[in-house]
Amino acid sequence: MRWDFASVFDNTDALLVGAAGTLRIFAICLVLGLSLGLLVGLGRYSRNRWLHIPATVFVEFFRNTPVLVQILWFYFALPILLPFQISPLVAASLGISLNSAAFSAEIYRGGIQSIETGQWDGARALGMRWGQAMRRIILPQALKRMLPALTNRAIEIFKMSTLASAVAYVELLQQGKLIASLNYNPIEAYTAVAVIFFVFLWPLVQFSYFLERRLRRDE
Amino acid sequence: MAYQWDFSPVLANAPLLAEGLLNTLKITGTALVFGVVLGLGLALLRLSPRRFLSWPAGFVIEVFRTTPPLVQLFWFFFALPILVGIEMTPFVAGAVTFSIQSASFFAEVFRAGIQSIERGQWDGARAIGMRHDQAMRRIILPQAVKRMIPAFMERAIELMKTTTLIATISYADLLFAANEVSQKTFRPLETYTVVALIYFVVIFLASQVARLVELRLARSGESTVH
Repeated sequence: MRWDFASVFDNTDALLVGAAGTLRIFAICLVLGLSLGLLVGLGRYSRNRWLHIPATVFVEFFRNTPVLVQILWFYFALPILLPFQISPLVAASLGISLNSAAFSAEIYRGGIQSIETGQWDGARALGMRWGQAMRRIILPQALKRMLPALTNRAIEIFKMSTLASAVAYVELLQQGKLIASLNYNPIEAYTAVAVIFFVFLWPLVQFSYFLERRLRRDE
Repeated sequence: MAYQWDFSPVLANAPLLAEGLLNTLKITGTALVFGVVLGLGLALLRLSPRRFLSWPAGFVIEVFRTTPPLVQLFWFFFALPILVGIEMTPFVAGAVTFSIQSASFFAEVFRAGIQSIERGQWDGARAIGMRHDQAMRRIILPQAVKRMIPAFMERAIELMKTTTLIATISYADLLFAANEVSQKTFRPLETYTVVALIYFVVIFLASQVARLVELRLARSGESTVH
């Protein structure tokens, strides 16, 4: 068996298109997942049961079902209830974003709960309302503690983006499949895809280790 | 336009779904057993003071933790068989992938657990004449394992969710059965909803058990999860 990566390099364009697709869905899910997660996390933290119960149901449901099942549900099942089609990008983004929202909600909640009550008291003593105290005093401090966990979430989202290939969204793995089937070179094609993912994710993983070390040192 | 829900075609295919669930449990169980054993091996190698042992173990752990499991699965299913000239069934490819992938996560759980044991335990073991491996087996690991149980169960649940990927290489797990039933009955909405609920019930129950065990361990002060 001789390795021949020339057939992969001939398809650099296809891989670039795939990389763009991967980065696009990663960015969408990162923004949607982490911002929706903050809302759900605040709902979980809230004492108001009309916010707390729906947020809890949402978190439990999306944490306890596999992402791939969610993506396929949005792609094959949801359109039946809607008057329009759902594109692979939308279906995969919905699945990955909602799943990430559920996981990051618990990170936000834990981070907010970890802030001492004295910070709340101090903010109130200065005449701040709940929303002001949360925005100006609590969240900035909590975010620092949550940063390592949120970075890990981002890494997970990047890895999950490959699941979009199951509904034929054009991303790196999907392009790898295409190259492998056109050139009969699965070894080189899938190895190249694995290496590309590793190159993208390695710095991110090292960054998360760095954040964890720094946080441990600071506290 | 009100859609008429009808679950009877899906229920008529319950045996197919039951078989799928059984296969999901089979691949999860297989990967769990091999993953834990392999994970312990990787952790011990990584903690070794000899660099030619710890370095390769660290490399395997990092590679399998930082690449997407679906890419690994495709590599083991489509690329490896050509490379080594063997036949690969979807089950074997999935078992190999998920075992190594979960092993690299279990290895970090083992490592954290072993490192959390106080130095005094090592010193004590050495003082009564135990060698390194005896101390590890009789003194350190038994205490470490108890602390690792919550993190360990969390990984096992993650593993079960990850096994759904095996449907993409046509192993007849629960998700693959959903595909089949939905095409047979033309009822994707009902089929995928039922299957999502089955996954939810199984995984939710497992999570609750994990939570109970965690609470008990936390009460006796033996947990690495805070």
